[in-house]
Amino acid sequence: MKTKTKKYAWQLKDIIMIGILGVLFALIYLGSFYLSMGLQAALTPFGLAPFNFEIVYGVWFMAATVAAFIMQKPGVALVTEVLAAFLELLMGNFPLVITTGLVQGVGLELGFAVFRYKRYDLLSMCVSATFACILSFIWTYFTNGYAALETGMLAAMFAVRLGTSLLFAGLLSNLLGKGLARTGVLKGYPAGAKYARQDIMDDEEEAA
Amino acid sequence: MKSINPSWKLIGILVPIVILAFFYNITLNLVIFGASLVVLAFSRIKWSTALKVMIPVAVLAVGMYMTGAKFHAGANIGVGAGNALLSNAAFENGLQLGSRVLAFAGFGLLFIMTTDMMELVRSMEQQLRFPAKFVYGLLAAFQILPNMQQEYRKTKAAFWARGVYPVPVSPKLLVPLMVKAVRWSEALAAAMESKGFDEKAGRTIYHPIVMRPADYAFPFLTTGLLVLGLLFL
Repeated sequence: MKTKTKKYAWQLKDIIMIGILGVLFALIYLGSFYLSMGLQAALTPFGLAPFNFEIVYGVWFMAATVAAFIMQKPGVALVTEVLAAFLELLMGNFPLVITTGLVQGVGLELGFAVFRYKRYDLLSMCVSATFACILSFIWTYFTNGYAALETGMLAAMFAVRLGTSLLFAGLLSNLLGKGLARTGVLKGYPAGAKYARQDIMDDEEEAA
Repeated sequence: MKSINPSWKLIGILVPIVILAFFYNITLNLVIFGASLVVLAFSRIKWSTALKVMIPVAVLAVGMYMTGAKFHAGANIGVGAGNALLSNAAFENGLQLGSRVLAFAGFGLLFIMTTDMMELVRSMEQQLRFPAKFVYGLLAAFQILPNMQQEYRKTKAAFWARGVYPVPVSPKLLVPLMVKAVRWSEALAAAMESKGFDEKAGRTIYHPIVMRPADYAFPFLTTGLLVLGLLFL
């Protein structure tokens, strides 16, 4: 039934899928954010409150790296991140998320672009997470006025953000993408073709 | 505020925010926050909702104040950190960071409290010419939100019933949800297309959103006011 579509053309189901992924990870982010509000209250007297959102920052990037892994074509990471930002706005977040989403999206896209959109694996996802982390940190450096902060503190915050970016958007996204591909629902996508022949035995060994 | 075209309101809020990010001015920050509240006072908004939004903002502002006061550029962490808190520079630095949060929140409140989000989406299609595929795809995904929340609870309950207690971000929990995401997207796209959704066909508009001169003027007004503020405060 498949009509010949251009390699880079967006189909309606692709757009809805990245949108729903955006919704899913926005929920995860909000959940972890509210959980960490308690932590923030505890950290405030020590002046360490920003670590509260730094430790969950990587969750922001997950939808984009997962979507890029699934569809494996240029532009996916950027579009996903911007769409996710618009969804956040619809959910009642402040308009600032749009610019943040754009900056992060460019970073995420760069990560796959340096591999000329040929690699969609743990390495490229980690590189993508790293770029997103660097660009988003530069952006928060301005919006949050971090120039007023001590260098040691800045370095610590950057290190934490880099760590969670790699953990969530790199490692966890990779696991999720592979897990999803193995279930067989991605038959219509490049990632599905790559992991379809994986034996069910592999899955059970990993789970054990 | 409520009657301004949503897309142009968004632009009129985003441009000043981006400019403001590059300046440090405590007075201006506080003036922006105050002015936003004054405008809101004349906009007939639901204050209970606004207060709910302000709680995390207030927590964040206090948090940033403490961070700015304790770890200001040039301070030594540890030695003398207690004294640094009392110094003038530390106080100012904390205020600098805390007031920024308030200024951004003021802009944010101004937008979200006076904008109907469906109107925003419609206006993105009509005024900003976003492709219909993206506009309606976005709406379809947005409407999945309650289903996704329910699905999350169901999946968690299913694991609990088996005596498995996965952490909130565990792949065990997320992979079934992502399977749902793919399935739903296919079903929704099929449903829309089977009922005649076509990107290329001409569309009629059910809720036309009109543009008036005031709408075009809004971004220039906000940006102009901000530049004046930067010059004189």
